[in-house]
Amino acid sequence: MSVLAQQLLLGLLIGGLYGLAAAGLSLVFGVMRVLNVAHGELIMLGGYGAFWLAALFGVDPFASLVLVIPGSLLLGALLYWGLFGFVVRAHEETRIKNSLLIGFGLALALHALAVRLWTADERSIPTSYGGAVLSVGELSIPLVRLATLTLALVLIGALQLLLSRWRWGKAIRATAEDWQAALLTGIDIRRAYLLAFALGTALAGAAGTLVTVAYSVSPSIGLEWTLKALIVVVLAGLGSMLGTFVGGLVLGLAEAASAATFGGPYREIVGLVIFVVVLAVRPRGLFGR
Amino acid sequence: MTAGGHERRWAIVILAALALLALLPLTAPRDDVLNFVFLILLAITLAESWNIVAGYAGQVNLGHAAFFGLGALVTRMLWTEGAPVLLAMAAGAGTATLFALVIGVAAFRLRGAYFAIGTLALGEILRTTVGNVLPEISTLPAATIASYRLTQRFYLALGLAAVSVLAVAALATSRLGLGMRAIREDEEAAESSGVGALSLKLTALALSTALAGLAGGLFAYYHISYYPSHPFGPHWTFDALLMTFIGGVGTLQGPVLGAILYIVLKEYLALRWVDIHLLIFGALFVGIVLLLPGGLVQAAERARGVLGGARRAA
Amino acid sequence: MLEIDGLQAGYGDVRALFGVTLSVGAGEIVALLGPNGAGKSTLLNCVAGLVRPRSGAIRWDGQDLRTLGAHLIVERGVALVPEGRRLFGGMTVQENLELGAFASRAWGGRRAGLERVYTLFPVLAERRRTAVQALSGGQQQMVAVGRALMASPRLLMLDEPSLGLAPRLVAAILEALVAINRAGVTVFLVEQNVPAALSLAHRGYLLEGGRIVGEGSGASLMADEHVRRAYLGPLAVRTPSPQGEHQ
Repeated sequence: MSVLAQQLLLGLLIGGLYGLAAAGLSLVFGVMRVLNVAHGELIMLGGYGAFWLAALFGVDPFASLVLVIPGSLLLGALLYWGLFGFVVRAHEETRIKNSLLIGFGLALALHALAVRLWTADERSIPTSYGGAVLSVGELSIPLVRLATLTLALVLIGALQLLLSRWRWGKAIRATAEDWQAALLTGIDIRRAYLLAFALGTALAGAAGTLVTVAYSVSPSIGLEWTLKALIVVVLAGLGSMLGTFVGGLVLGLAEAASAATFGGPYREIVGLVIFVVVLAVRPRGLFGR
Repeated sequence: MTAGGHERRWAIVILAALALLALLPLTAPRDDVLNFVFLILLAITLAESWNIVAGYAGQVNLGHAAFFGLGALVTRMLWTEGAPVLLAMAAGAGTATLFALVIGVAAFRLRGAYFAIGTLALGEILRTTVGNVLPEISTLPAATIASYRLTQRFYLALGLAAVSVLAVAALATSRLGLGMRAIREDEEAAESSGVGALSLKLTALALSTALAGLAGGLFAYYHISYYPSHPFGPHWTFDALLMTFIGGVGTLQGPVLGAILYIVLKEYLALRWVDIHLLIFGALFVGIVLLLPGGLVQAAERARGVLGGARRAA
Repeated sequence: MLEIDGLQAGYGDVRALFGVTLSVGAGEIVALLGPNGAGKSTLLNCVAGLVRPRSGAIRWDGQDLRTLGAHLIVERGVALVPEGRRLFGGMTVQENLELGAFASRAWGGRRAGLERVYTLFPVLAERRRTAVQALSGGQQQMVAVGRALMASPRLLMLDEPSLGLAPRLVAAILEALVAINRAGVTVFLVEQNVPAALSLAHRGYLLEGGRIVGEGSGASLMADEHVRRAYLGPLAVRTPSPQGEHQ
């Protein structure tokens, strides 16, 4: 019993990162109707950002968020100007398909680049507090992972606040609901797209940092994280960032339960099966609100 | 010139080139040369098979590796159990096609990118499952290795590449192909003019996955040892996608050109830098999607148009 | 003032406007009338920058609007209440209104703007925290008009503001338009409800098949034989008094 509880707890802890990973993808898809399948690679880059800061300058991985988030914002803006800004001119169906293809090419290129820069090895960031554990009854909670879950929630809350309070946050939401109406209210929707993509990339970068702190990073984690994020978006729908976070927790729990029932190697399958089933049941309303 | 005439001419050119390659084992029987050409031929088959669904029916199938993998899995099992290799490959292709038809009915309810990510997820489910059920590496028995003949594999690959080129050429010039292109352009309009979209898409998928299954069978026949989940890896899909798009999706000659360019560059670059070809091809691919959706074929046509214009002006 | 000269526009291969010329003077209420598919919405969308014209000129205070992005046209003081309202359904009444003031020229004055809109439509003040999709059709139309007003426009364009509304609500919206016009806003109105439109418009244009086929003052159009037969139908036999009907 306590073994199962411990597994579920660990599932919940990683689920917070699934939610954070999905929030960026959801924001970009919801606002731009752009499906960036290189989202996982952006997470991977965020992870290596933290890894480099730690390895080269000895920056604490949690503190490195202060640099990784603005860096990712900038990267997102560059990617929008250089690549994704060109697709938003097309109509919705073409737009999604072309963005998928561009994201795919970008994913391959970033993966190859990461192998060049950091080799294909798995990396993690050792810290003095990495092994700290909080014991609650028979459960032992790794403190670093608890911290990443908390930070994920804080970041998602901050995003939610930004979207509901900030002038341009409201513009981003309005553009997501109806871009033509947004234009008519005087919103420069290209700028809203740019901000949404930059914010989405920043969330990916932050998620990557937290993943690397609590687990590890390698150039090949991209596809896996893109799929996790897609699964959560399908589970949670668009529109509510807190809903996305909860969706991430649900996926984490489902994976843990599946691993406990069918064995560790089957952890990855449950999410994919949920994904395929939702697709089969709601082929059109996939990302519905 | 009709589209059909265009494709027929290219089919003749490609088949003639393949026929010339049949002399290769007689004139230059070096294993490294044969292995290299084998990889190109396998890539041509894989790319053309992917091209059928993407180029003619307009659906991006990101789960193509699943069918390649199923072909490899079934072929390897039957063949190592003593079945004749051609029969084993046919069974592998049949399994892949059957699986495709079962999932196709559900998957084709999805449009555009949703079809793409749905098939990607299906492919990953299959890969993970096979990796879990068959975690051990599959190696040929010593007796089989002793009697291994590369030329047999080479000719099989040659024949398969020819079959896939013929299949796409036949499809492109047929009524079936016309209907598929109508779906690609505008599915609702095609439906309203009496084109049964689902059955056409399923036909395209069946043809595509049968060829992919055969290619997988060839892979199983060629390689001495590999992990059973390896041919299910998503990179097989990604390779097919890159080759097809870089060459020219929806054309007969495009995937062939793309496959040659891809394998040549990959093998050449791999001598110095592992995986750097993906950086180049990823970037090239993005450029093509943004600037040149018709790939190299379109680039060649444009160049010809510009040259022709210059000549006329002179 | 708005001047449209030789405007041609369309969607893809379909042409919708074949050389339309008209003008809307400062302080006027001008109605654009015509059957479904005549190109009325296309014309408003061209002015608002949602549709790019093929040729012809759109000048607002002498400045060419054709090359400006839609959001910049709002900055020039031109606002459109689009067909079907196009509100942000998941957001509250107040959020929708605030977004109407997104343009830099209006953002600073958004508090005063809110007061104005709430004075004009008191029911919206009561429901300011309600999500727009929970409102009735008439209230949603008020939000749509209010959202456009928040941009403090000098030219307010409306595409079928009475569509799908009960007569009492139509009257309320039209009354509001008269009040808005009195406050100095030029109004350019597309309307299917011809008697209602002509009852308040100073002038009107008839658009059929993408061409202007008639123009005149509200009263003269009301008396026009073609207008009566084509738009007013048998019911128009008993001529309604232009002022009386919707008060």
